[in-house]
Amino acid sequence: MQAELNTIVAQVGEKASSITTRAEFEAFKATISGPKGSLTEVMKGMGAVPKEDKPAMGKLINEAKTAVQAIFDAVLEGLEAAEMAARLGPPIDPTLPPPDAGRGTLHPIAQVREEMVNLFRRIGFSVAEATEVETEHYCFDALNIPADHPARDMQDSYYLPDTLKVANVSQHAEEKYLLRTHTSTVQIRTMLEAKPPIRIVAPGRCFRRDTPDATHSANFHQIEGLYVDQNVTLLDLKATLDHFVKTIFGAKAKTRLRPSFFPFTEPSFEMDFFSPDLGKLSNKWLEIMGCGMVDPEVFKAVGIDPGVYTGYAFGMGIERIAMILQGVDDIRYYYQNDVRFLKQFA
Amino acid sequence: MKISYNWLKNYIDLNPLEHSPEILAEVLPLLGFDVEEYEKLGPPPLEHVVVGQVVEFAQHPDADRLRCCKVITGEGEMARDIVCGAKNFQQGDKVMVALPGAVLPGDFKIKASKLRGQPSEGMLCSAKELKIGQDHDGIMIIDPDVSLGTPLNALYADGDTVFDLEITPNRVDVLSHIGVARELAAKFGLAVKYPEVAASRQNEREGDPLLSGVKVSADGVCPHYTAICIKGVRVGPSPKWLKAAIEATGQRSINNVVDVTNYVLHETCQPLHAFDAAKIRGGQLEVRMASEGESITTLDEVKRALRADMAVIADGERPLVVAGIMGSLDAEVDAGTQDIVLEAAYFDPGSVRATARSLGLSSDSSYRFERGVDPLGVVYASLRAVDLILQVAGGRVDGDMIEVGAEPPTISEVTLYPERLRQFIGFEVSDENIQSVLESLGLAVAVHDASDGRARWEVSIPSYRQDLQRDVDLIEEFIRVYGTEKIPESPVVARGISDEDHRIYSVNESVAHYLTGQNFDEAFLYSLRDPEETKFFFGEASHAVLALDNPLQSDQSHLRPSLIPGLLDVLKLNAARATGATRFFERGHVYREVKGQMVELISVGFVIVADTVKREWRQRELADFYTARTIAAEILGIAGTAANKLSFEPITECRLWQPGHAAEAGDFTKMGYQATAGLLNLATLKERWDLDTAVIAGSVLMTPQFFERKAKRGRHTGVSNQPATARDLALIVDQSLLAGTVQQAIAKFAKKATQGFDCERVEIFDVYEGSGLPEGKKSLAVSMRFRANDRTLKDKEVNAAFEAIQKLIAEKTDYQIRK
Repeated sequence: MQAELNTIVAQVGEKASSITTRAEFEAFKATISGPKGSLTEVMKGMGAVPKEDKPAMGKLINEAKTAVQAIFDAVLEGLEAAEMAARLGPPIDPTLPPPDAGRGTLHPIAQVREEMVNLFRRIGFSVAEATEVETEHYCFDALNIPADHPARDMQDSYYLPDTLKVANVSQHAEEKYLLRTHTSTVQIRTMLEAKPPIRIVAPGRCFRRDTPDATHSANFHQIEGLYVDQNVTLLDLKATLDHFVKTIFGAKAKTRLRPSFFPFTEPSFEMDFFSPDLGKLSNKWLEIMGCGMVDPEVFKAVGIDPGVYTGYAFGMGIERIAMILQGVDDIRYYYQNDVRFLKQFA
Repeated sequence: MKISYNWLKNYIDLNPLEHSPEILAEVLPLLGFDVEEYEKLGPPPLEHVVVGQVVEFAQHPDADRLRCCKVITGEGEMARDIVCGAKNFQQGDKVMVALPGAVLPGDFKIKASKLRGQPSEGMLCSAKELKIGQDHDGIMIIDPDVSLGTPLNALYADGDTVFDLEITPNRVDVLSHIGVARELAAKFGLAVKYPEVAASRQNEREGDPLLSGVKVSADGVCPHYTAICIKGVRVGPSPKWLKAAIEATGQRSINNVVDVTNYVLHETCQPLHAFDAAKIRGGQLEVRMASEGESITTLDEVKRALRADMAVIADGERPLVVAGIMGSLDAEVDAGTQDIVLEAAYFDPGSVRATARSLGLSSDSSYRFERGVDPLGVVYASLRAVDLILQVAGGRVDGDMIEVGAEPPTISEVTLYPERLRQFIGFEVSDENIQSVLESLGLAVAVHDASDGRARWEVSIPSYRQDLQRDVDLIEEFIRVYGTEKIPESPVVARGISDEDHRIYSVNESVAHYLTGQNFDEAFLYSLRDPEETKFFFGEASHAVLALDNPLQSDQSHLRPSLIPGLLDVLKLNAARATGATRFFERGHVYREVKGQMVELISVGFVIVADTVKREWRQRELADFYTARTIAAEILGIAGTAANKLSFEPITECRLWQPGHAAEAGDFTKMGYQATAGLLNLATLKERWDLDTAVIAGSVLMTPQFFERKAKRGRHTGVSNQPATARDLALIVDQSLLAGTVQQAIAKFAKKATQGFDCERVEIFDVYEGSGLPEGKKSLAVSMRFRANDRTLKDKEVNAAFEAIQKLIAEKTDYQIRK
């Protein structure tokens, strides 16, 4: 019997090395420890063993069983390891180009717009919106731009035909529709709806009838700011815009307010800034926005009492700021959308 | 507008240290007059350019246009040979000579050489070549008293500086040298010296009057008209000072009389006009409206048709001047003129502007009249011009000034509360300070104590400052001259609580971040598109409604109805440049026609190239309709429409989208939103964009009003923690039947068939078409999930419900249940 057991253990040991699949293993295992397996048969023979030999024989059988089990365990472990390896496949090559596209990029103008809007949000402004199609009243009259002002010349604005109606843009009377030439229209629409205090920024698309070149585009973007309340002062205007310039262009930037003229503000200024860190544009005064104190005529047009409220307003071209910040020298690049251009701002 | 530094010195004492041209160039912008550029006139430092004399000259033997001159540059010197192309000199004239070794502006080196075989040791120079003036018609002829050999720079020691100023439309008064001088005087604390005019000259009349009368019938356009007659002028070249002044303003000197009128315009801002009295037919002038059909040939030699809403100055027969804009060739002052009539008038700004605009004609005069000249400045300017004409052209005034109408009314006083000024600017300045700034501008301040103790000032406004009408205008004057650099720096004060952002902005922001997260790059495109494209994709009605009234370029004449064509341009450009880019989106406004009206919509569009565009070692699955549908639905989800409310229906006929491979949900005219997703029309892509790849796209339209809805807040309703039981069913249906229809039908039956528990989900999880099925049929596999809130469901009850559902299917539909 001992010989039989030794043979079985040796046989298992021999066969084990050639088992490569789990099915093979189960089948082989059955020939050893299954109901009709060779080891099971030997164990069945225990009944015939004389009583005095039983402890010795039992010990031998147990030893054989342990040995077989150890081999089985090892085989199983080997199989599992092989299966795992098969599931994993070959190790990755981290240097192959990933087949998935990466995160997309916000358009460079949108990035600058977002940066500017967020800056103003942090100091209490919120975003206002209005349509791009407007009427002469909201684009000009209410902003104190008289009917014969040069800005209203046909060559400056895109008009819509007289007979046209725009279902979701309200007219004041029967005045003409046009594509807004500035975001100052949002000032008017907002002041007509809300009561002071009003603190808004309005980013948006504008249109001018300009021949396209490196600095002119049929459509472009502006951000308008408006703050109306009791006791809003010129000092506040300067503080806000200084903060804007220093945040966007760095603490070393200097500003100046150059007196100017806009029909909708009085006094009116152009703000220039000067920075040592702008490459080719360093160390010269660059004009970046128009601003001023809201003209009383504008308040009258929207039913706000200029005797009680004062306000400031400012407006700037987003492309202009983006071009300075991003070193872009032709506005048309922004509208071509060559992905190699866009990704430079990722 | 061009302002000469030397000219300014006539009215204010500019000190070369404190008020140098460089300093003015810094100060003027801060007063509100931006310096576009400034240029030093007069010769740059030039060596070897000296005064010489032409002792004799002869025609060049081999060149008709050249003369061979003998020139000396010092008494008793040997004459040198110089070949010259000019003909405006005589023997003995003194001229400017550039000797060999001189380097003229433009790096033009002078060397001894030969011209057409004749020796030439230098060059005789024109004013332009030496940067002294505009004159290029011939060489400079120098005053005979100047000694030979005088270097050019010694002769022109006081070179002028000319500033090109940008004057805002409210400041017509600064479109003149006196105007600019006044501003500088205010800033630097200088006194303005106005030229004195001989107002009380004895004007006797001799012989026949030049004008029998002036009639103003267009008195709405011309409230105030004056004319002065001068007999016996000698028209000729202007003296040096006048010529230099005229040239400094960028004009060409014409003759002494015309130059004076231009000089006074640039001095006082009041335009003037000189007529040759002999050319005024009938001896009478009339300011009248033109008659329809009349025409005039203006000084720029263009014949212009006049209309009845344009005012003219006419003689008995014909219009001689378009009022306030430009004279005609017919009454021009020329070399033969002996007697002149000098006009000075006030013309209504609106009429001049309208006429100038309809004629497409702008002049120095119209530019000023349009902006409103000093209503009280007419007579002064006229008298000033008379003085100068008598000075430079001789003659005598014949009779008194003829004056028709009266000076228009002016604003003379504005109230200002200094306390309000301080409140408005937000920092302290003393009353004295404010008062002295205003007075420096010629604004006289009368201080009154108001009854409530607040100081009230009545500020007198000079007639040339009609732009000052309200207290804020005076506040602007104060801050402008006081200096914006003195506004203190201060911290930002953010008062109160800010409002919510408009939802259009916040939704757009979230959408952009979602789409960049989905690997899309954002594109910015033009809102104006091609008319033919609009018609091709959106039809005649849209083509008519979306047109601009005055497009600039014929291919940008229509407002875009969709973002997709622009995005296809982007794909095309990137394909042509082989950038490998495949996914773009845009956020923007689009325009649609609805019942003959335009509607402006908020839109998001995206495109995905659904083809392998580059070889890759591992290929991901390509996008399809379902990719686009999910993204479109998510965009609407961000805007506030639950995805399960969207029901997409296939597009059957369309030029933009591929029929059968794209679908649409919503309707912006009814629900405020609309989404389209799927494959773009392959034939169109090939034909119009030359794109061979398949493009999957999505477009979402939302009305601005859609964003006014308040977002709904979620409410907890409890979720069952009991186990679910599932049942599957295979149905054979018509191939054309939409899965959504089947799903909805089964969901309805399931709801009916369950009691005391729910069929919480009915889902199509497999679609099969092909062998084993009858022709024209497909098989849909449906899974149903049942669950109770309070207990584990028993097989028996689920089976009963499942049976009931199948029974309903058999009864109510023609779906076959596949066993």
